[in-house]
Amino acid sequence: MIEKDKLKEYARKLMFDMEESEYDTLQEEFSIILKQMELIEKIENISLVEPMSYPFMLDDVVLRDDTVNNELSTHDLLLNADEVENNQIVVPKVVE
Amino acid sequence: MKSNNSILNLRQKLDNKEVSSLDLFTEASNKAHMYQDDYNLFVTIMDEKIEQESNSILAGIPYALKDNISTKGILTTASSNLLKDYVPVYDATVYEKLKNAGAVLVGKTTLDELAMGGTGTTAHTGLVRNPWDKTRQIGGSSSGSAGVVCLDIVPYAIGSDTGDSIRKPAAYAGVVGFKPTYGLISRYGLFAFASSLDHVGVLARSVRDVSLVTDVIKGHDPKDMTSLASDNIIFSDNLDKDISGKKLFYIKEICDYNTSNDEESKAVLDNFFDVVKKVEALGASVCEVSIDKDLLNAIYPTYMSISCAEATSNNANLVGIHFGNRLGKDSIEDIMFETRTQGFSELIKRRFVLGSYILQKENQEKLYLNACRIRRLLVEKLTSLFMEYDGLIMPASGGIAPKFDQKSDKLSDKYLLLENHLALANFGGFPSITIPSGFVNKMPVGVNITSGVKKDLELLNIANKIEEKLGYKDMIVGEDNV
Repeated sequence: MIEKDKLKEYARKLMFDMEESEYDTLQEEFSIILKQMELIEKIENISLVEPMSYPFMLDDVVLRDDTVNNELSTHDLLLNADEVENNQIVVPKVVE
Repeated sequence: MKSNNSILNLRQKLDNKEVSSLDLFTEASNKAHMYQDDYNLFVTIMDEKIEQESNSILAGIPYALKDNISTKGILTTASSNLLKDYVPVYDATVYEKLKNAGAVLVGKTTLDELAMGGTGTTAHTGLVRNPWDKTRQIGGSSSGSAGVVCLDIVPYAIGSDTGDSIRKPAAYAGVVGFKPTYGLISRYGLFAFASSLDHVGVLARSVRDVSLVTDVIKGHDPKDMTSLASDNIIFSDNLDKDISGKKLFYIKEICDYNTSNDEESKAVLDNFFDVVKKVEALGASVCEVSIDKDLLNAIYPTYMSISCAEATSNNANLVGIHFGNRLGKDSIEDIMFETRTQGFSELIKRRFVLGSYILQKENQEKLYLNACRIRRLLVEKLTSLFMEYDGLIMPASGGIAPKFDQKSDKLSDKYLLLENHLALANFGGFPSITIPSGFVNKMPVGVNITSGVKKDLELLNIANKIEEKLGYKDMIVGEDNV
């Protein structure tokens, strides 16, 4: 079974923390999914199969010209920021 | 109980000036408010009618949009605390197309947070309840979109589907849920969950209505390079062809009574095999096909691996700096950490940790790439079957909508097959539709039909003819159905 400390490390890498009881649930889930993934390894010649990362080959995709389109204004882009000053998003000082 | 508010009926009433679009909007909006406390179907109910002039069949007709689809100037939360105040600055293509068609938005519907989950229990605004029985879930993640259709608030709603998020809640709500071929409807402006599996689709009360809506919102979009051209296809013109001679199949290992370990799933299978008989009465054949059970058992872990891995990456932008509900103040790291710790629910965090683990260098081969290999084996198997058959017909779920205390989104090793096979259509981008097929224990159940890539036209034709035969078209919540 995967150690709880390891799970905490992964969560912190993802920039969040969880309650102790939530890590317990996660630990349980991990043991189930890892057990299921082990079944996958047992499928004959699985390592010879080319991984599929997309539903099907698109034969008619044409890359558009590299020209500017679909622009958003600075004003719009800043609308959802918490605090804005001089067209820039305010954050705590990085260098004191 | 049947609704008279099909798209064609409403179109006729509008054209004959029996009603105005304002009447329809006001009625839908009033219903939305009336049911909101009981079912929590909406995150936002529109205060006023916004309608553009158009000759489209959808002009003046109200609809609802899942709240993970961007609407410029209208709150769009993805039912997440982290985005509870987020107002998009651009429109999703699907919304733009509906606006241009004169369709009238009634509200944004509640979902499982960030569209991850199938219970309707993780929205930041609370539980979504099933209108057929308030003590039960409606499924998810397009929870509110299923509810607003079965309560006759609107004739159709837009949803999204990454594993079964349109087609499962449709079954639990007794409505039709359609996810077309991957790319047929642009994903521009849909909040990405797992980009290689995400689809936009439609929930409505009949195959005809989902077809009419799909005709309007489909098409190539320069803003989504994975979108497909389909200009010369009109789905709604092809629904009434005779389907005698069509060949369908079901997967033996999934529909095996021995693997269903309770009375309810047996009743679901009974319902399914009744449907099979009715399909055969239409002159179509339904064959039993066997697929390696080890491969089928891998559907769920494969789905979890790929979707969690993609989701972890896609949602790395939710940090509270440029947008989102910013918490913490000491440093940029503190802001990100607090924003994410308090902004995401437990389920989301568990899935992200799983995704991150899967993507670690030391685990990628065994967990992520093996899942992608299984994906290929499953998709190739189905693709070869679709060369021989016109469609796969299956029960849409392993049971009726669960009680709130009955099922959680914690991973489980029970009911893997009958409950989780719908993700097959996402793996291969296959068009897939759920239609109501009757009742078990006074709750609606459905069958799902899936066809080969770009066979949407044929699929909708088959589904429409089966729907006619089964007789649950235009159904809405009401005692006399059961």
